Amino acid sequence: MFQRILIANRGEIALRIIRACKELGVETVVVYSEADRNAAYLKLADQAICIGAGPAAESYLNIPRIISAAEVGDVQAIHPGYGFLAENAHFAEVCRDCKIEFIGPSPEAMKTLGSKLASKELAKKCHVPLTPGSAGAITTEEEAVEVARRIGFPVIIKASAGGGGRGMRVAHNEITLRSSIKAAQSEAEAAFKDGTIFIEKFHEEPRHVEVQLLGDKHGHVVHLWERDCTLQRRHQKLVEESPCPVIDQATREELCNSAVRLAKAAGYYSACTCEFIMDKERKFYFLEVNTRIQVEHPVTELVTGLDLIKWQLRIAAGEKLALQQKDIPQNGCAIECRINAEDPERNFAPQPGLLEEFIPPGGPNVRMETHVHQGYRVPPNYDSMIAKLLVHGATRDEAITTMRRALDEFRVGPIKTTIGLHRQIMANQQFRQAKVDTGWIERTYRPKG
Amino acid sequence: MAKKTNDISARPAGFTDTKRVKELVALMEANGLTEIELMEDKSRIVLRRGTSTAAPAAGHMVHAAPTAVHAASAAPAAPQAPAAQPAEGEKLLTIKSPMVGTYYAAPSPDAAPYVSIGSAVDDKSVVCIIEAMKVFNPIPAELSGTIAKVLVTNGQVVEYGQPLFLVKP
Repeated sequence: MFQRILIANRGEIALRIIRACKELGVETVVVYSEADRNAAYLKLADQAICIGAGPAAESYLNIPRIISAAEVGDVQAIHPGYGFLAENAHFAEVCRDCKIEFIGPSPEAMKTLGSKLASKELAKKCHVPLTPGSAGAITTEEEAVEVARRIGFPVIIKASAGGGGRGMRVAHNEITLRSSIKAAQSEAEAAFKDGTIFIEKFHEEPRHVEVQLLGDKHGHVVHLWERDCTLQRRHQKLVEESPCPVIDQATREELCNSAVRLAKAAGYYSACTCEFIMDKERKFYFLEVNTRIQVEHPVTELVTGLDLIKWQLRIAAGEKLALQQKDIPQNGCAIECRINAEDPERNFAPQPGLLEEFIPPGGPNVRMETHVHQGYRVPPNYDSMIAKLLVHGATRDEAITTMRRALDEFRVGPIKTTIGLHRQIMANQQFRQAKVDTGWIERTYRPKG
Repeated sequence: MAKKTNDISARPAGFTDTKRVKELVALMEANGLTEIELMEDKSRIVLRRGTSTAAPAAGHMVHAAPTAVHAASAAPAAPQAPAAQPAEGEKLLTIKSPMVGTYYAAPSPDAAPYVSIGSAVDDKSVVCIIEAMKVFNPIPAELSGTIAKVLVTNGQVVEYGQPLFLVKP
């Protein structure tokens, strides 16, 4: 096991990693930007090093400074968390060149599975179901129209290098399709420095279901079952749960096993998540792979009883994944609500500022993952998530009951958060009956004001 | 009647004497007080300690007749001034580290340091080297003046924004 690692991230995930390291007896060096200077979690690390000004480009995305910090901190490995450099293959390569272990996949596996096109080719080889679409990149309107006629409208144009829901356009007919192609290419070029686009069948009223995977450096890969992340707004997840409430066990096993095949074929080790779209008939189609630990990983931890961060550290240190598939349980139901510093009544406008009041919930079956506290000032430089509220119950209904109780206790102010929105969701009949899709929030939620 | 030199009631009246205010601060710290209010003739001072917004001020209001207030008997240790605190009356500029790495005062182990106290620097004067990822980066002063204080030692690890030198403009 490593003696000391550097955590190249911030906020709740940095704290999460610090906690796992403490329990494993690993020392921690955490980097921080000037905007995070007063964050309380910094004091829990063995060493904290300021690496730059608030803007991410000058700090959390600054590879030379992070590597410098790793060298002066004398660490053996770097955990990149999620976001920032977590899926940056170049950063993983730099770590390798500097003889610092990158706690994640190899740069090669990251590149293969990180590319939407390359991962789809691999999925095809592994007999993982794919959404019908263009065989590869689309360059002209005529190609686009030909594909759309073959697979049927509606279709969706996607940027190969895109992610997080960005760079996507839906076309319900040829006219829209033709006019969208050039615009989609320019947008992709501007946003991701890669104008490559492709086309797929657009699934209406889809659910988002993903499979958690763990692999070691000795070729052993297991799945840790699935998570349903259907509740999203503008392609940002709001609520996640495990198990998926609408599939039977046979579908579940087929889904999870297909993800394992894909990860094995890519020679993947560490943690990753294989994402799928599920249509009305409960057929699933491969979407993409996230080659990192994810925000919602505690949902899986609650139903399996496993610590994913600790496993990432062990795997990176070369240990064998001592887990057999048949021994990985999926107990009860876990739900996570992402608490964002946003005002749902004002189009989810970000709410940086002072948390004069922050009283998190507690009690049985409640797990709070947060770096904030009363008196904390939410900086404007980063994403708006300030906490993850998780619950576990023997059944989905019990989990929802506990979540409602926990949300009722939760007091945050004066800045606005999504707590009120989550209360509404948890009370909603359609959600309780699991009759939702990825567009449901945007269609259903109306600000009270 | 011998005047106790520690008895602040014996000091000149008023709270414009910073020394006196410092003594009050030390008194509060030594006794764990969060709030103190003193009135003397026409002068009044209220001191509140601590930055937490969580609990309302506990309000240890000390309305003491001046004779009842004693400064801490041990010489109160002045709180460590942060390195960049300017000396009384002077405004010193700070040269801060633009990167994470190891500070070296001289171009090589045997050479003389780039600067020392009294050295004149301007925009482009190299004041030190910071080594990051095996690259030795000369650091320019980016301001003009005379070196008043060197805040770091040779071979010390420095982080982004860490004050390196105080400069008298």
